[in-house]
Amino acid sequence: MLSNLWRSSVSSLLVVSLFGMLAPSLIAQTAGKSVLTGRVTDPSGGVVADASVTATTIDSEQKQTASTGPDGTYKLELPEGSYRLTFQAAGFKTLEISSATVSGTAPEVLDGKLERGEPVNGNPATTQQESLPNAPSSSTTAPSLSDLGLSPEQTRGNPQEQALLDRRTHMLRIHQRMGLITTIPLVATVILGPGAGGKSEGTAVRDLHVALGSLTGDLYGITAYYAIRAPRIPGTKKRGPIKFHEAMAWIHGPGMILTPILGAMAFTQKNSGEKVHGIAQAHGPVAIVTAGAFGAALLSVSVKF
Amino acid sequence: MNRKMLIAFLFAAIPTFGADSQWVLQQSMLTYHVSHPLHQSEGVSHAAKGKGVCHAGQCEFLIAVPVKSFDSGDSNRDLHMIQVTRSAEFPLVTVRTRLPESDATASTINADLEIQFAGQTAQYKQVPFKLDKQGNEIHITGTIPATLTDFKIDPPSLLTMPVKNEIPVRVNLTWHQQ
Repeated sequence: MLSNLWRSSVSSLLVVSLFGMLAPSLIAQTAGKSVLTGRVTDPSGGVVADASVTATTIDSEQKQTASTGPDGTYKLELPEGSYRLTFQAAGFKTLEISSATVSGTAPEVLDGKLERGEPVNGNPATTQQESLPNAPSSSTTAPSLSDLGLSPEQTRGNPQEQALLDRRTHMLRIHQRMGLITTIPLVATVILGPGAGGKSEGTAVRDLHVALGSLTGDLYGITAYYAIRAPRIPGTKKRGPIKFHEAMAWIHGPGMILTPILGAMAFTQKNSGEKVHGIAQAHGPVAIVTAGAFGAALLSVSVKF
Repeated sequence: MNRKMLIAFLFAAIPTFGADSQWVLQQSMLTYHVSHPLHQSEGVSHAAKGKGVCHAGQCEFLIAVPVKSFDSGDSNRDLHMIQVTRSAEFPLVTVRTRLPESDATASTINADLEIQFAGQTAQYKQVPFKLDKQGNEIHITGTIPATLTDFKIDPPSLLTMPVKNEIPVRVNLTWHQQ
């Protein structure tokens, strides 16, 4: 009995260590400054040189300004956070973007398109026009968005919702990767199952089966955590394969709890020299159903039937 | 007297032939296509709104469609599409083009398009479209050869495999002249 406990502890330690090694690469957190870059253009797509781009932190109103070069590009090095951006150039209306989130190591790209308007300081802006045979013009006869009868909800940006979506995608991406990783020990555990519960008196296969089963359970727990904790987006009605994917969770979720409990009972009986009996006999069938539901859930969102 | 009135009426009517005319988008179906090694998917929207204003022989067109209106039949995929295209921040796709008024009688046209999407602007030159005019209505079909990199969108991935860069958008529009 003590040796069983020792083995379980060793396998748990192995799982914790393995997760400790995997976790940093799965949840990449970056501190420090990030780069915000982009190009400022006029209504015809020509670049605007010497435009001023100002990033103001939404929390503390701290400002940082950069100017665009001859190719219309700018670059700001900013601490991670949310910023209000202002694009200004002589001869153009000021463009303001109410919220832009800067995060991560990869440069964020945000372009600004300026509309012609009153000069900021009386001087026309320097632009490099791209010549297109029938390119869109900035003439006053051109229809505008206000002519189309779109509702304010359809035209207004919502940075909070974008942040929620970003967080959701980040968590579901980890969920997806962890699900794939979990599949490996899951399949191996199922394959070793008949050997572990057979007539053989040897314990090597059984121990390996237990270790892999423990690893599967732990990885499954992490996988489930990222799905359950991923934010829900208000007003979204679920449609399509995701409904089947979630329905399968109601089978493999309880199965992943029940399987190791029944397995522990069977393990104890087997190690005591007894034939596996009683409810412990359900360990194998429950494990098969659980693995099947897990596989079906994975396939339902991966392959189009 | 009647002849004078008729002549006066004709003279009064002449300026209206050269006056501005407008087109309104009556029906639309926009379909994007995404290719992944494991499967293909399409998202469809019927929610585009558009207007064309003609003046001095040139027509300026503007079409706008809410990104959230695209339906691929899978809410999870649609939410992911909205996230990667930053559509909560930039909720509309807008398409602008300028065409000669005389193109309304052609059977095919090549249009230069300026598309704003995901906070970026991309220009597509000489995109071919087929036209079918019936009375005051013109039916336009064609495909815009859009790509993810045009709008600096990171390719979404499934099972660690990214989708293809090409996301052609089939356009099916019915315009009504007013």
